[in-house]
Amino acid sequence: MGQARRLKPPIGRAGVPKWARWAAFPLIALLGLLLRLPQLGARPMHTDEAVNAYIVGQLLAGKPFTYDPQDRHGPALAALALPLARIQGAKSFSDLTESELRLTAVLAGTVTILLLGAAVEMFGFVPCLVAALLFAAAPLPVYYDRYFIHESLFAVATFGLIFTGWRACKGQSIAQAALAAACAALMLACKETALLHFFALAAAGFVFWRWNLRDRGLAGLWLPRAAPAAAAAFLLVSILLFTWFGGNSKALAALLQAAPNLLVRAGGEGHQKPFWYFAQLLAGGWSGGVILALACIGFFQTARKRDPSPFGFLAFYAFFLGIIYCLIPYKTPWLALNFWLPIALFAGLAIESLWRLPAKHPALRIAIPVCYILMGAVAAALIAHDTEQRVFLHAADETNPYAYAHTSEDLLALPAEIDRLARQGAIAVPRIAVIASDPWPLPWYLRHFSEVGFWQPGQQPGKADFYITSTEAADRYGDQLQNFRPEFFGVRPGVLILLWSPAPK
Amino acid sequence: MATAALAQNQVVLKTQLPPPLFVGTPVPLNVPNLEPPTRGKRADFYVPAGTVNLARNKKVTSSDNNPIVGTLDMIDDGDKDGNEGSWVELGPGKQWVQIDLARRVNIYAVLVWHFHSQARVYRDVVVQVSDDPTFRSGVMTVFNNDYSNNFGIGAGKDLSYIETYQGKLIDAKGVAGRYVRLYSNGNTANKLNHYIEVEVWGKPAV
Repeated sequence: MGQARRLKPPIGRAGVPKWARWAAFPLIALLGLLLRLPQLGARPMHTDEAVNAYIVGQLLAGKPFTYDPQDRHGPALAALALPLARIQGAKSFSDLTESELRLTAVLAGTVTILLLGAAVEMFGFVPCLVAALLFAAAPLPVYYDRYFIHESLFAVATFGLIFTGWRACKGQSIAQAALAAACAALMLACKETALLHFFALAAAGFVFWRWNLRDRGLAGLWLPRAAPAAAAAFLLVSILLFTWFGGNSKALAALLQAAPNLLVRAGGEGHQKPFWYFAQLLAGGWSGGVILALACIGFFQTARKRDPSPFGFLAFYAFFLGIIYCLIPYKTPWLALNFWLPIALFAGLAIESLWRLPAKHPALRIAIPVCYILMGAVAAALIAHDTEQRVFLHAADETNPYAYAHTSEDLLALPAEIDRLARQGAIAVPRIAVIASDPWPLPWYLRHFSEVGFWQPGQQPGKADFYITSTEAADRYGDQLQNFRPEFFGVRPGVLILLWSPAPK
Repeated sequence: MATAALAQNQVVLKTQLPPPLFVGTPVPLNVPNLEPPTRGKRADFYVPAGTVNLARNKKVTSSDNNPIVGTLDMIDDGDKDGNEGSWVELGPGKQWVQIDLARRVNIYAVLVWHFHSQARVYRDVVVQVSDDPTFRSGVMTVFNNDYSNNFGIGAGKDLSYIETYQGKLIDAKGVAGRYVRLYSNGNTANKLNHYIEVEVWGKPAV
């Protein structure tokens, strides 16, 4: 049995000249890059970004990455951000800028678009083209590809695993199997939630084999010789990253604690949302409903038959992933990026199917394409509107559903105000004492000051030129703050801090 | 005797409060130079008998005559609810609103609700009273926490405060005037300016 018969070729693959494919996807990636780069440093640093930035700062200072399953995700983001920061001239935490750090996520998002070009053999030209356009311009991927968190890198690694895993099965290739395993290791080194994706992928693979491939013999799909290579690649990449290239062997023991911690975190930890949260988020804005409706058309078109194409597998993966993420109480908006690959590809599949309709109804051969072009133009306008509003105009606004517990723009004025007051008071090197149970993202915003200390409420910080306290901590330090004047700054919606500066005499 | 007689003519200012929309923050703040916390209901504030809210449905003008959200007449329509649909949102940075009380009055208290669905502080809050609608002459300042003098109308020494459902009560000490102007300069959440309601409690000037 030939390979092409083992796994059905995807819909709409044929008939596209290679030059068109190789021209289209780099151009779309360029469009994605052009939408991701402007004003990259303008949005305030989210607390999670600030924590990741601090980790990169520690690495720049020569310290190794210490994996801590309690407070940190894996080392993959830092491992990529570090050389990028160095290339851009950063030598210490205080040298780092928002743009330098966010470039890592921008590049991960751009690689996703390029990878769709490589996946034409798998999903077909039109679905990949539409998916690439959606990745390039839709508000959700553009927003989170400009965010210095693990999600974009995780998403591209997931796509890499699906893509190379499929090719490994199709071509019975040991090299592809090793690549797939490396992608899986990269996912794990991004976030512990990789375990959920591995489960969804395994469940999807199993059901796809039993249902869509009708229990076809595993010999045609599975190459036993690939297993050792895949296992070796997975272990090698995982060990290299988690031990920070051999420097910290304790990380492997810590990694074993990741699963119990993940279970605790899944309970919510203050981020509990209803099960329909992601559907509501993805359907929001002017364009969300249109994209989601198209994706649903593509999904049901695939699901209603035993489709042996990669879309059949993707449908099961999306189904299991959706069930898992909806059932887990812990939900944050950037997790929705994990749905974007199936959504974009199924939307592309739906568009391809709709486009083919006129051929079946010759009487409408002209009217329907014209109608589709108009609808496409309207959809593009809706997407452009949402991207402008959510990514550029209201990036940190609490009305923006993507800006979750986001740092307020007001906080950007804090370091400038300390600078101004220090100059006014002729304080050359201001000593700043921060007293707050959760000071983040202040370490980022105070990184240019050389004398900054952080204390927990109740601890005695000693003498300082400026104090920064949470509203909760302030009343414990009445005597110390007697001759200081307070000024409020917004940290996040509903969260304020006080800057205490020497009162004018 | 005079004090007792005066006290007999004083009554508690009674205004209808909206339901609180957040709890937990603001938390107790008992430190110098900061507005004391509002623990439970605000202490009674006394005004002369016959004092009423003179601002209700009076003409409102603003430095921003095209608000981003809502309309200026919402500022004195009696709706103090903290939810969306009850506030007017003015443009970013320095803005003011002005209420024409239609005649010269003695003002004993100004109550202002900027926003109370979350803990926020509005910056550079200034409240002035004048008989001149342009506020070029005869201006009396009854509240000013613009200590950096960002508005250029004099540095203030009043304290910053966290917005709550009880609103900010400003003691106007019976100052006389026809127009009340309230300034603000963004807030700790964004650069925009909001008003849910403004009440001006007074009596026709003697």
